[in-house]
Amino acid sequence: MKKPKIGIFKFASCDGCQLSILNLEDEILDFIELFDISYFREASDSPLKGQFDIAIVEGSISAERQRQDIMDIRERSRRLITIGACATSGGLQALRNLASLSSYKQYVYPSPDFIDALPASTPISEHVFVDYELWGCPINKEAMVETMVSFLIGKRPGIPKYSLCMDCKGKGIPCLLVTNGEPCLGPITKTGCGVLCPSFGKACYGCFGPKEEANIESLLKQFQDMGLTQNECIQLLDKMNTYAYRKVRLEGR
Amino acid sequence: MNKTIKINYLSRVEGEGGISIHMKNGKVTKLNLKIFEAPRFFEAFLVGRHFSDVMDFTARICGICPVAYQMSSVHALEKIFGVETDKSIKALRRLMYCGEWIESHALHVYLLNGPDFYGIESAWAGKEYLNIAKKGLRLKKIGNNILSILGGRPIHPVSVRAGGFYKVPHKKSLTAMLPELKKAYDESVSAIKWAAGLPFDENPLDMGYVSLSHDNEYPLNEGRVISNNGLDLTMDGFLKKIQEYQMEYSTALHSGIKEDTGVRPYIVGPISRLNLNHEKLPSELRNIIKESGVALPIKNTQMGIIARSVEIAYAFNEAIKIIEDYEEPDKPFIEFEPAAGEAVWITEAPRGILIHRYEIDENGYVKNCAIIPPTSQNLGHIEMNIYHFLQNNMDKPADFIKTACERIIRSYDPCISCSVHVHIHN
Repeated sequence: MKKPKIGIFKFASCDGCQLSILNLEDEILDFIELFDISYFREASDSPLKGQFDIAIVEGSISAERQRQDIMDIRERSRRLITIGACATSGGLQALRNLASLSSYKQYVYPSPDFIDALPASTPISEHVFVDYELWGCPINKEAMVETMVSFLIGKRPGIPKYSLCMDCKGKGIPCLLVTNGEPCLGPITKTGCGVLCPSFGKACYGCFGPKEEANIESLLKQFQDMGLTQNECIQLLDKMNTYAYRKVRLEGR
Repeated sequence: MNKTIKINYLSRVEGEGGISIHMKNGKVTKLNLKIFEAPRFFEAFLVGRHFSDVMDFTARICGICPVAYQMSSVHALEKIFGVETDKSIKALRRLMYCGEWIESHALHVYLLNGPDFYGIESAWAGKEYLNIAKKGLRLKKIGNNILSILGGRPIHPVSVRAGGFYKVPHKKSLTAMLPELKKAYDESVSAIKWAAGLPFDENPLDMGYVSLSHDNEYPLNEGRVISNNGLDLTMDGFLKKIQEYQMEYSTALHSGIKEDTGVRPYIVGPISRLNLNHEKLPSELRNIIKESGVALPIKNTQMGIIARSVEIAYAFNEAIKIIEDYEEPDKPFIEFEPAAGEAVWITEAPRGILIHRYEIDENGYVKNCAIIPPTSQNLGHIEMNIYHFLQNNMDKPADFIKTACERIIRSYDPCISCSVHVHIHN
């Protein structure tokens, strides 16, 4: 069998999700036996050319040139997978969608005119068709393996879309929301991290984005009943997956 | 004679950059290290956020060195709030930083920079290199394991908070790591000899090294800022001593040290740290450096791979020491009331000093902030280094110059994703 040709691409991001691939210390060498990693700028000099069986895309679209680049990548690729909160949900940098670009540019750069940036940071799916989205900030590297193997054998990746609470209960962790009165996003957030924050006694802050059919309003009402101000509630959602949580809220209305 | 050299998209570096050089009649007429990584405006959206979000947010500047961002911000905030953490918390934070130095340095030494010395395009492109790559992956994994134990995951760990940690590990979960750490330490010591034996071009450079310095430890989270040119300043003092400036071709600001004659580039990172602090290393490591024939100070940035290899071994040694001495604190964090104020803090990220400055209002929200990553401090120095190289090699073929320039840039382990987050502070 011919090895599937893989391209790994980066847009606006921290590089952490690409690094998750290099963090597969035990599997990476098997990975390159199974796949032809033909484009991976962070790890190889190999130039961009030809078509790909799978494009793995990290990062959000946040500059004009990136809008062109993502279309080019889509055209070259049979399948396109987005990895991480930036690519699937615009990332933390999508907080700028709520502010004015010129004020942000002026705050950060002495000569804001040199800076090429779009007013909004948007997920890849706003620009091209995406075959599969792998959520998380960062993605879970085991989920990355599951996804790649699934594409190899032609099945749907077995990655759960239910809430973090399900796995948190399964681990027997006392509920931070009910028992401690902490504003935990677990009930509305997809599982996937391995229940990290609750096991550290910290409220979930939404790395994996909204779960399927998340009832955000109901959770926010509970937060307000606990004494949180509206601003505090909104700020809990306005993190790495602000775009996705806000979209779910708008669509739920 | 006209010559144009262009690299549109640098490989084996973190983030997006390129270089454009033009030479005419034996003179360099243009030399632009282009940083085109899309800006993400972290400093702007941190304003108005509660201080407790700061560590989770700044971590997202860099997937390779999130701990560095968490360390510079948590210390700055604790300084503002007047929180003094106890010995065990300080030790655990140092241990966490050791984990990050190991994973970040091993990534660079074995997967990004190592292939340069073997003339291959990636760590998996040559059969003879594969065993070296495997060794790097083994070391890197142990660095990541330290981070997972202390912070849940290596990328964007979740445990750090102002006052301490959300939760601290039990002694036995740390001591369980000791056998593999000791094995890795031995492996990392022999790797120093391997790195020292790599072929280096003759390209000595007169450099201004800058790093933290601490009375009795190799610098990580605390210290004064020193240089080989007599600088010895507090963290605040150093921030006042540097000047940032913007170039049209870069989304990262440059910075240099203000002097009567202008602004002078400086270098931060493993070479600077080792050159300025090698006497703080354990004597065993000092001897290995000597036996390997490495002359200090290092004057060739290609030898950054040696400095990184020394620091990997140091980080394993330090991690073992910290774990053996570790006593679980009574409480994972100290309670405190947030207060208005401002502070600067600097820690040693894998790539060099990382400067954070915050201004917090009376309700605990960020009023202003500035973040100066190591790579943006190095940009001016990289350009100077390339300029120096070009002056001696102008007549060489374009391909030779291109490869050499890429190698010079890579030797700094630039993290371009980080470097585009700089807020002009003055």
